[in-house]
Amino acid sequence: MSNLGLSTLYNRSSVRFIRTFIIWFPGAVVALLWLFPLYWMLNTSVKPDRLILAGMDLIPTEITWEHYRTVVADTPVIRWFINSIVTSVCVVAGSLVLGSLTGFALARMHFPGRTVIFWLLISSLMIPPEMSIVPLFIGVLRLEVQDSFTSLIIPPLASVFPVYLYRQFFLSFPRELEDAAAIDGCSRLGTFLRVALPLARPATLAGAILIFTSNWNSFLWPLLVAFKTEWKTLPVGMAFYTRLDIQGTSTQSGYGEAMAAVAIVALPTLIFFLILQRYFIEGVTQVGIKG
Amino acid sequence: MTHLVDRAAPDGWLSRLSRIRYRGRRVDWQAYLFILPFALIFIVITLLPIFFGIYISFNEWGIVGDPEWVGLDNFREAMQDDWIPKVWGNTFQMAALVVPGTVIVALLMALWINREQWFSGPIRTAFFAPHVVAITVTAIIWIWIFEKETGLLNLALYGIGIPKQGWLTTSKWVIQSISLVTIWQAVGFHMVILLAGLKEIPAELGEAAVIDGASAWQAFWRITLPLLTPALGLVITLEIISAFRIFGQVYLMTGGGPGGHSATIVSYIYHEGFVRFRLGFAAALSLLLFLTILIFTLLRARLVREHSN
Repeated sequence: MSNLGLSTLYNRSSVRFIRTFIIWFPGAVVALLWLFPLYWMLNTSVKPDRLILAGMDLIPTEITWEHYRTVVADTPVIRWFINSIVTSVCVVAGSLVLGSLTGFALARMHFPGRTVIFWLLISSLMIPPEMSIVPLFIGVLRLEVQDSFTSLIIPPLASVFPVYLYRQFFLSFPRELEDAAAIDGCSRLGTFLRVALPLARPATLAGAILIFTSNWNSFLWPLLVAFKTEWKTLPVGMAFYTRLDIQGTSTQSGYGEAMAAVAIVALPTLIFFLILQRYFIEGVTQVGIKG
Repeated sequence: MTHLVDRAAPDGWLSRLSRIRYRGRRVDWQAYLFILPFALIFIVITLLPIFFGIYISFNEWGIVGDPEWVGLDNFREAMQDDWIPKVWGNTFQMAALVVPGTVIVALLMALWINREQWFSGPIRTAFFAPHVVAITVTAIIWIWIFEKETGLLNLALYGIGIPKQGWLTTSKWVIQSISLVTIWQAVGFHMVILLAGLKEIPAELGEAAVIDGASAWQAFWRITLPLLTPALGLVITLEIISAFRIFGQVYLMTGGGPGGHSATIVSYIYHEGFVRFRLGFAAALSLLLFLTILIFTLLRARLVREHSN
């Protein structure tokens, strides 16, 4: 151990602290920059007009709800909010029922075609949704279900993600649980409802959050099927506010309202994410590792 | 046990069915009932439309009137259309920035967070947060950041003496600007997948290599990166697919402008199909989009296979 002296020097806590700090600091700065646009949105949405471009205050010195009031007065935001909520909640509920049943069968039941069906579902993920968008659009027009919850809710239910999520979860179940349930006289459905589903709570929560977020944020499909203003969802409706600034007229009033408008779209998913982060991360991780 | 069941229903078709074996085990017939509801929706919403879409691409199909079979005309037109090389070129340029950009930044963030330093949790939250907001939110915030006169980016650059640029209004910068926004939003998601991959790698492996005299840099290239290949492969594939499908940011931020310099494949499909209602042509374009994505994901898989051999 000839280099003992050197290594004790190296391990001295102050040197280590500086080394760690040099690696830590740039990352922390990048993290702040990453968060800045969202922070600036919230900050501007509560600033009075005259301070928006004049002061670059990181913390608003004066708070006003004026911009939010203007957005509510100028657009049918409440209607759009209801459209978004109803659609997202129905898609979450439907997807979880379909996904858990299918995922359970694919993971825990024995039948011819199981592997083929699973690979068919997985390979469909390689096909961009744009492939089916023209035919679905023609279908919507033929059935005259544009401007309705039917056209907003049913197509997203075909997502393979919840099936995959539940299958991965149920695969990790111990065999004994089912055997015990079977001995107690449970049918397959009974095992599923009384044993498997309650134990799959983490998958259900992760699935619910990820499906809710992706449907709340969905853009192209709701843009296509909403012909009338009152059938727009929040992200599609609020696209109205792109017009306020893009002409570069630099009218001061534009930014406060635009930021309040997008804050209304962003806050539900952001709050959801902050409270239930763990499940977000778990959901993405499930898809990632075991994929 | 079995003879009890047999006596209860000696020769009914149900009991015969329940004795059918597949690969040595009894078939769970109820499984088909479990699968049925999703299978129906999947067939109607995903499977049939894919084949119907291929059929539509051989037709002249408007929003009114009857469709007319035109054979390969839509594809022939696509080959001669001036917009096709342009939108494909724009999309390739964006993908060339967005895919490596996202993967490298996500990897750096994942490696950095994996060190578990001060505030790792909140910092991970900060990186992931843009991923949970709608594209409308992202687009409108960044329209302001990129705005020429009052935009935050120009104000900041002006402060250090760089002249104001029209980030979204000049052909010189528009692709880079849209790519930057895309990376900002996508990176957190991929970081989480890579982080999960990193957590699977036993820490002792890296330590052992360092004790054996490898530098941290060598340990990263020889141990961490090869073991991270599955996660990286997934991240790259997902990113290729989503980069070729860029639409919302373009539709909202530039409308494809200036002069079509930011129009992408999907924004062209949207324009032809749902603004001009040339549904047959749009279906043909979608098919070409699928083939493009397929070629690139297969190339990706092949590169990785050769690399690991």
